[in-house]
Amino acid sequence: MISVKKVNNKPLNLLERIYLREIARGIAVTTRHFFTNLLNPKGMPTIRYPEQTRPLPGNANLRTRHRLKMRSDGSPKCVACFMCQTACPAYCIHIEAAEYTENTVEKYPAVFDIDLSRCVMCGMCVEACPEDAIAMDTREIPGGALTREEMIMTKESLLRNLPDGSAHAQSGNARSGYDLTTPSEEEPSRKGAANRLANEYLKSRGEE
Amino acid sequence: MPKLTIDGKSIEVEKGTTLLAAAQQLGVYIPRYCYHPKLSISGNCRMCMVEVEKAPKLLTACSTEAAEGMIVSTTSDKVKAARRDVLEFLLINHPLDCPICDQAGECGLQDYYMDYSLAPSRFRMADKVRREKRRPVGPHLVLDKERCILCTRCVRFCSEVTKTSELEVMERADHSYIGLKEGKALDNGYSLNIADICPVGAFTSRDFRFKSRVWFLKKVPTVCLGCATGCLIEAHHNENIIYRLVPRPNPDTNTWLCDHGRLTYKSVQAGDRLSKGVIKNGLIDLEPALREVASRIDEARTSVAILGSPWLSIEDNAALARLAKDGVKTGSYCFDFNSEQGIKDGILINKDSAPNTSGVKAVGAAHGGIKLAELSRRITAGEIKLVLTEARAAGLIKQALKSAGTRLIVFAANRGEIPPDTYATLPYASYFETPGTFINYQGLRRRTEPPVKAPEGVKPLWAVVNKLAAYSGDSLRLESAEDALEGIELK
Repeated sequence: MISVKKVNNKPLNLLERIYLREIARGIAVTTRHFFTNLLNPKGMPTIRYPEQTRPLPGNANLRTRHRLKMRSDGSPKCVACFMCQTACPAYCIHIEAAEYTENTVEKYPAVFDIDLSRCVMCGMCVEACPEDAIAMDTREIPGGALTREEMIMTKESLLRNLPDGSAHAQSGNARSGYDLTTPSEEEPSRKGAANRLANEYLKSRGEE
Repeated sequence: MPKLTIDGKSIEVEKGTTLLAAAQQLGVYIPRYCYHPKLSISGNCRMCMVEVEKAPKLLTACSTEAAEGMIVSTTSDKVKAARRDVLEFLLINHPLDCPICDQAGECGLQDYYMDYSLAPSRFRMADKVRREKRRPVGPHLVLDKERCILCTRCVRFCSEVTKTSELEVMERADHSYIGLKEGKALDNGYSLNIADICPVGAFTSRDFRFKSRVWFLKKVPTVCLGCATGCLIEAHHNENIIYRLVPRPNPDTNTWLCDHGRLTYKSVQAGDRLSKGVIKNGLIDLEPALREVASRIDEARTSVAILGSPWLSIEDNAALARLAKDGVKTGSYCFDFNSEQGIKDGILINKDSAPNTSGVKAVGAAHGGIKLAELSRRITAGEIKLVLTEARAAGLIKQALKSAGTRLIVFAANRGEIPPDTYATLPYASYFETPGTFINYQGLRRRTEPPVKAPEGVKPLWAVVNKLAAYSGDSLRLESAEDALEGIELK
């Protein structure tokens, strides 16, 4: 159903059409705000973004700055399958794949850039990821920057730990509302082979 | 001539035609893994099962000959169930590492699963049979035994096409795997075809490995210029980078493509690709280089020799001929190359390594010119002060140039091609960057389509020649490559 709202466009009366009185009224409003803020800066509703930020509501389900999850050995969980780049409607992800020579997981991203100046924060990359390697749960809202280059997040900055120091997958998931902790023997992982290989690799290192 | 009915449509086929081929003639697609039109029938994948009336069981369409009065169904419930079950068997031990598999996007398992199965797996990940992964076999291929479905296309390719038989199915039943015979490496000059015919990601190309996902690639039909065979190929490219060359199977020339031909795209992206002129050993901007070459030509004028090249397209050779006749007005120009042509190894590789020997003959027929031996004689006799040619063609008159010490100016696309003691080099757009017409050893006309753009400022050779003539005060009036073709008769 489309709701219809009738707008009452009254024609301006003579006093309004002269504009002078309306301009004076407008200036009065601005001046009032100017002096109010000058004399009582703490009462200002605006903040100095991005230097200042507002606390986000604790229970909000937000899409915030991306991060790449890590395995417990510090390598990125990402296997450079290009699913996120394929799904991205804003063409903001740039990946270059490379090959591990020793690890059981063959492929990893040598370059993983997200251009935040192009990103529309739609979360398609998170949806598309078969390895659950990218998440938008940092609760950091990307700020402004003075150059375009500063808006590009590299692999290193995406792998940065979460603010509370919980860098690894387990802790990050609790927040985003679903649990992806280690699959039990009865319920094998359905997250694809690379994940399985990663688990095996970790097992072989005795870390799981 | 047996007459049969497939899915309600009747067709009369040659005796000996298989059901799969008959269905193909009717436009009915039967899924297959082990069947390949250019390899022998194996019938091991069981994917092409069809129901034939009065036959007690389902039959494999690839190995069953069509017979009079057969009534075949490819869509019955029994066939659908068979396809689903075959796929389930094939996928039991499949590692499902699509995210790291180069075949993803053009994989037979992915495609047929979406088309014919869509059934969830009933097997536990932990119970899958593990095998060796990413084993390099030979210089061009990586083998992943976990992904293999044992269709034996690769085995048959090696034994039937290249006749080198490096690969074999080892062990039996559930233990079988594809392996290299002892002491052999998979390096038969055609090994990359195996990556193409492998319906899954078991054999993947080491060259293409992890470079790009296949769904990003755009395809341009073009021609391989690796030798005089002139195979039809498809260049896969994205964002001005060529990622791989694959064959375009055709009845005239080629089904396969040799490894050498597949890697010819490398020179376009090589670090020594010329985008500037070279004078002696120093790089110099294009304009001053052109002016320098033009003034050297002006100095020598009638003692300039111009040599065409079987590595250049007909258009570019014709432009060189026009420069000799109408621009420089020298008598010493040569478009006469004779090399022995024919398939060298019984598969594809030609005895003649230049792609356009026949095409240059057509240019010579239209514009005349002297014989190559006569040109060499004139150079040796010191009648020639300056030779203008293409870098690889300069190799044909190397001896004469060396003995006379004649000044040599070449066109080259890569710095590595430039012969030693070259005075000046002008870059030109290669045939991955500009269209060109070639004639292969069979006399078939081959036209390249450019998948990528030339480096900034680099023009096709005919345009460089046109500019060169303009700098010397003559106009060839070449506005397009077709203008250069004027007067040349192509079959």
